[in-house]
Amino acid sequence: MSKLFEYEKQREAASAAKVRALEALLIEKGVIGSDSVDTVLGHFETVAGPFNGARIVARAWVDAEYKARLLADTPKAIAELNLAQGMDGAEGEHMLAVANSPQVHNLIICTLCSCYPWPILGLPPYWYKDPVFRARGVREPRAVLREFGVPVSEDVEVAVWDSSAQIRWFVVPERPAGSDHLSEEQLAALVTPESMMGVALVHLPAA
Amino acid sequence: MFTRFEEFAASSMLGQQDSPPRSQGRLHFSQDWQRSLFGLALALSKEGHFEWEAFRQNLIGSIAHWEQLPCGEQPSWDYYERFLEALLKVLEAHSLLDAHELEQRLTAFSYLAGNTHTQLA
Repeated sequence: MSKLFEYEKQREAASAAKVRALEALLIEKGVIGSDSVDTVLGHFETVAGPFNGARIVARAWVDAEYKARLLADTPKAIAELNLAQGMDGAEGEHMLAVANSPQVHNLIICTLCSCYPWPILGLPPYWYKDPVFRARGVREPRAVLREFGVPVSEDVEVAVWDSSAQIRWFVVPERPAGSDHLSEEQLAALVTPESMMGVALVHLPAA
Repeated sequence: MFTRFEEFAASSMLGQQDSPPRSQGRLHFSQDWQRSLFGLALALSKEGHFEWEAFRQNLIGSIAHWEQLPCGEQPSWDYYERFLEALLKVLEAHSLLDAHELEQRLTAFSYLAGNTHTQLA
């Protein structure tokens, strides 16, 4: 083992010990409660995150009537799923779903701000705030999609949706071919945040 | 507008110098201590012990300090080590904890770890 690697391990161990000591001290002193840390992290881990979006998409894939309701009245259809309380806060209001199909591919961008449906997509990727992505997404969406590895043929329409504080869009991607044998839960595991922004397709895992 | 403190806090860092590592829409922690550390900072601020912005400014300062170190003295990049440094500073500035207390506790930990080791041996 190289000395450098050994040194990195020692640094990790020292940081881990410090954080453990710090948390124990702050709890003992009554500065925070013993469950405070898990409570705040729980928001990202179980309340609001891409796991909600994945459940919504998977339900739309297995239930055509649900999909129709989702596209007609998105917040109402989301409410049907009994997702964690608190995921429908201000950032989850005014959400609108658009579905990909053989005729249309949807791309979500945000030209003015970074309005993003956190409760169902989680934390936006670093490039989402990049002005170049936002500008090119409007000007040349097909080129941007190609760079993301999503070539869209000329006979398929590309629809670009601009998220704002009033409307937060997300995409229902197409269900991957050959996924008939998968359960709703297995399907949800395939859905990525990028696919719900329209910059990725959903694929079956390589056999 | 964010009605949840957790989202306000994380959002204020995105696209900035102190943006946390994330993957597939989720915060990315490569070690458990990083997760605890992020949660500690968030919980402390949520419970009103310091403004989130005060912590962020310390974090930005810690990252800037690391960037300015000469190559020979620069430890490899670790976001959460800078995060830990920033949290300790803000805790000290707000008289919530001093470095001495933490050192004492760390010494006690290593003493206990040493004892456990002796018992197991």
